[in-house]
Amino acid sequence: MPAAPRAASRLLLGALVLAAVLVWPLLIEDQFYQRVGALVMLAALSASAWNLVGGYAGQISIGHVLFFGCGAYASLLGFTWFEWAPILGAPFGVAVSLLLALVVGRPTLRLKGHYFSMATIALAELARIIVTNTPILGGAVGVSGPAMPRSVLDLSFISPLPYYYIFGGVLGVLLLFTWWMSRSRMGFYLRAIRGQERAARSLGVPAERYKMYALLASAGFTSLAGSLYAAMLGFVDPDSGLGILLSVKMVIAAALGGAGTLFGPLVGAAILVPLEEITNAMFGGSGTGVTYVVYGAIIVFISRFAPGGLAEILSRLKAWRARHAG
Amino acid sequence: MSITRRSMLAAPALLTGVPALAQGAPIKVGALHPLTGVAASAGNAAKAALELAVELINTPQPDLAAMPLMATTGFPAIGGRPLQLVLADQQGSPSVAQNQALRLITQERVVALTGGYQSGLTQTASAIAERHGIPYVNGESVATNLTERGFRWFFRTTPIGPDIAAIYMEFLKAARVNDRPISKIAIVNENTEYGTSIADVIRRTADAHGLSIALQIPYAANSADVSAQVLQLKDAQPDVAIFISYTSDAILYARTMRAQGYRPPILIGDNSGFSDDNFVQTAGDTAQGIINRSAFDPSRPGSNSFKINALYKARTGREMDDTTARTMQGFLVTCDAINRAGSTQPAAIQAALRATDLKAEQLMIGYRGVRFDEKGQNTLASVLLVQLRGREYVSVWPTETATSQLQLPYRGWE
Repeated sequence: MPAAPRAASRLLLGALVLAAVLVWPLLIEDQFYQRVGALVMLAALSASAWNLVGGYAGQISIGHVLFFGCGAYASLLGFTWFEWAPILGAPFGVAVSLLLALVVGRPTLRLKGHYFSMATIALAELARIIVTNTPILGGAVGVSGPAMPRSVLDLSFISPLPYYYIFGGVLGVLLLFTWWMSRSRMGFYLRAIRGQERAARSLGVPAERYKMYALLASAGFTSLAGSLYAAMLGFVDPDSGLGILLSVKMVIAAALGGAGTLFGPLVGAAILVPLEEITNAMFGGSGTGVTYVVYGAIIVFISRFAPGGLAEILSRLKAWRARHAG
Repeated sequence: MSITRRSMLAAPALLTGVPALAQGAPIKVGALHPLTGVAASAGNAAKAALELAVELINTPQPDLAAMPLMATTGFPAIGGRPLQLVLADQQGSPSVAQNQALRLITQERVVALTGGYQSGLTQTASAIAERHGIPYVNGESVATNLTERGFRWFFRTTPIGPDIAAIYMEFLKAARVNDRPISKIAIVNENTEYGTSIADVIRRTADAHGLSIALQIPYAANSADVSAQVLQLKDAQPDVAIFISYTSDAILYARTMRAQGYRPPILIGDNSGFSDDNFVQTAGDTAQGIINRSAFDPSRPGSNSFKINALYKARTGREMDDTTARTMQGFLVTCDAINRAGSTQPAAIQAALRATDLKAEQLMIGYRGVRFDEKGQNTLASVLLVQLRGREYVSVWPTETATSQLQLPYRGWE
């Protein structure tokens, strides 16, 4: 296919997908599915934020819940202490997250591979334990948002649709940022670091500095995702805001769709979240744990047959087609 | 349209054979419980109890006629329509609890929601019910703030922190150690939500009653060793030690106290870990005479509690514990209100809940009754104290309703 029509057809496809994403929640009336849609957006947002450092820079953090928790707690502590609308706490969450990323990143980003992952787990768990034992941060009980909406700023809606579009809007900004970054000098540096850090360094890539930039951007957006989550839910406690499972879910969503690609985390979230919610709706009431069996089986399947995620399967398919066409 | 929906709804009921006794489309009541995750054992006990409740309501139970809906089939005031339980797994996550509450309301079209279990999850799930105008009745979450939110659709039947602290204080003021009143109280609490909140409310109530807490020892429930905490108690020599613990740590304390030969004159083990059958079976022999609280005392033959416990035991092979009983009572109160509403309209059920006035003999649990205040909290919820004898708890306080005589001091392993 010649280059120009091919670009045009890709553009058309992109526009169609975007239109579908924007319009589908309006076409169905079922609030449960609309909410699942909003949760997909939220999961895609945090997985894409993780993707900046975990995918593009190849630094597998399993402690990103630290930043997510910062955002969530900042939102609701702002309400608890000063009666602010939860979303007004978001900038403070981002600020604290950036500070934490600086402090935490300096020593941990020197670590390689598994050691970096383990250090991030340890830090996130440390944060969870500290918050659990600090009464002013809500302790083990957690903190709540406004029980009743006071104004539209409280972001307390009956319909899940506003959440869907708010989360989607922030996700859009993050994707634009990611796209810009991946084509900038930074994107090339990060890919070089991911490929072979020592080689990149020897070619003059300031690896420490660029890994730190990636971590900062990632921490800021993850914190924002946490704030939006808290604004929707109106409650966070150490397990739901700082539990390791959340970090793992970000990694799985990104890995499933394809880490280090622009749309990978979106695809991953769009598969995992509905899968989780719908298996729970179908089998959860039986109390047999089938939900987790199905969920776990899919993860095992992916890691066995396509460790690079769906993006890898797609590129293998393309290669196969090209071979057979030629 | 309405005909299709009715027949669709009736389909699952036909499969279970219920319509042979009850007539018409089932009325759905939703329940959220932790069927997987760390609290799964409590959630599955609740599941068994709720399924028992559905069976008892949908078939005539002349033996339980003192309780509402038991002598009849289904909801007699709504044409005898049967009850259908729609159970959802909240997985111990506040977010999942909200999703499932929304699904039960919008997809399953339940007329009321119950359960929640962990206080934080009850909080998020009931916020959804509030926005959608669906009654939410909780029977087991004790965090005080749940009924302080100004909600109009939220009701709670269980006794909460202040009720629990009140009975401890009432008991401690009357109790005597070596013929003198109690002067020194120590609290040993696990340091997460449960232990912290109960310890706080006991401390505040004690202050109000002119008793003061001399010593408080918070600890992590997953500790592998508690000898330092026991030594601390041994040094302080309090008249009363109040433990607020989960199961494994409760067992660890009983063993460590045995090893160090330490026995306070009065030992109170608050509900959770000490009520667990695991504690009673593995450490009960070294904790004879420990005092516990409960709202459920199935030890009196002929009582509703006794009969319900027997039915539950026949089903599951286990005794019904306090939490499960409180959950089941909350569910039964919901069903009674739906019947009195005579309709499945949420507003009618809400009005019926507000007008609830159940007497002690209409309940399966030891509350003085069920009547809600304007915040939705049951004002007649009450707790009683039980004492471990052999491998069974017997009720010892208040003395008017007790089945056994209180024995002091604490005997431990003797």
